[in-house]
Amino acid sequence: MSTPTAGPATGTATAGTPTGIATRITTASAGITLRGLTKSYGTTEVLVDVSATLEPGRIYGLLGANGTGKTTLLACIAGHTFRDGGEIRIDGHDPLEHAPTLARLCFVHEDQAYNDAFSVADILAVMPTFYPEWDDEIATRLMRRFRIPRRTRSRKLSRGQRSALAIVLALASGAAYTFLDEPYLGLDATARGIFYDELLAVYAASHERAAAGTTAPRTFIMSTHLIDEAAELIEEVLVLDRGRIVLQADVEDARRTAFLARGFEADVLALAAGRELLSTRRLGGIVTATIRGELSSDERQRAEAARVSIEPTTLQEFVAAIGQHGESDQPAPHLAPHPAPLPASQSASESRSLQ
Amino acid sequence: MTDWTDGRPIFMDLADRIAADILAGLIPEETQVPSTNELAAHYRINPATAGKALNRLVDQGIVYKRRGLGMFVAAGAPEALRAQRRDAFSEQFVRPFVEEGRRLGLSIDEIVALVTKER
Repeated sequence: MSTPTAGPATGTATAGTPTGIATRITTASAGITLRGLTKSYGTTEVLVDVSATLEPGRIYGLLGANGTGKTTLLACIAGHTFRDGGEIRIDGHDPLEHAPTLARLCFVHEDQAYNDAFSVADILAVMPTFYPEWDDEIATRLMRRFRIPRRTRSRKLSRGQRSALAIVLALASGAAYTFLDEPYLGLDATARGIFYDELLAVYAASHERAAAGTTAPRTFIMSTHLIDEAAELIEEVLVLDRGRIVLQADVEDARRTAFLARGFEADVLALAAGRELLSTRRLGGIVTATIRGELSSDERQRAEAARVSIEPTTLQEFVAAIGQHGESDQPAPHLAPHPAPLPASQSASESRSLQ
Repeated sequence: MTDWTDGRPIFMDLADRIAADILAGLIPEETQVPSTNELAAHYRINPATAGKALNRLVDQGIVYKRRGLGMFVAAGAPEALRAQRRDAFSEQFVRPFVEEGRRLGLSIDEIVALVTKER
């Protein structure tokens, strides 16, 4: 197995690559770079304009409501589907034009189709062909912990067993870039716990090997709707809304980009003035609003005096609020991790009304 | 999953937990504290979060790094933590306690009387 570009952040030119691609990007930057990515299915624009830079050796969470393009984005990056436009570079290479890069990617689909004639054991047996860094020890350990029957034909597996098998394949693949699409479907709390433990173990081991200088640490991108549970495993989040990335931030910063305010409508409205109102719910005269931005301690005290309670949002609530945002075709505007609050004097004219 | 304090960054909560263990004597002075990976595995959190917690304790002088060996509890750390907590006691406990008493219509004297009764 050769890992020609596996060196972490070497920043060396890729002139010597076998296919001589990488002509548009002169230095091989480690990690994933997406620029202006677009993808449509028929007349439906799934990815509108996706740009992002992902450092290698981290665990990313790809979050967003159903149908926002999470699976399509992962499929494009992993080279499972052709993009319509834009650029993808993984360690400086377009994976579709560079076989050694493609061999370092693993994407197990949420509804992965296996050959019906294949048993689980058959699937495991062919994996080393596709993944040069395949680790049988990990596969054996996970098969045992998840209690997946080896002789069963793949189509006879239950939903939970299919998810567990996908996790086994992804973690044992040894792929430098591993994409997990809704890995939890049908998994109970015990199985999810096993997944968390094993993901962290595999991730830590890859960092230890990287520190010893042999390989690059592994990068994981995980799409999920069980956000709060996954938040503790994730280092950085990418939030997709209607085909665009509306937020990329450290997981703690992401939670601080918005807060929950609960109180009388007029008071909550005053607080939302000049800020992005992401969602509102009402109970009689009481309104609970998810508002983007941070509050100064002054504003906090004034809110308290007006009997408006302020609470932090969970990541789950924040992503749900972005998904509901406007309930129109307008995507949420780009959210900076630390938006500067507007001075009160400026904010009145820009206030949004509660519909 | 661990029950972290709502809305508080996990690394701060974790730093406090480790500090509490040091204060309680569970991790004595000059002994090794769990590594980033051990903490990550135990609490099921990202190693970067665990690393931030340890760095926070390094910044506070509670633990220090021995090159190639790991993190160790600094000499005098329990006493330093006790002093830190004493300083925070008023802000964290006394003030909210008095405020709640006031909201319930208790006078300062009545609040003091309640405290004295706890003796």
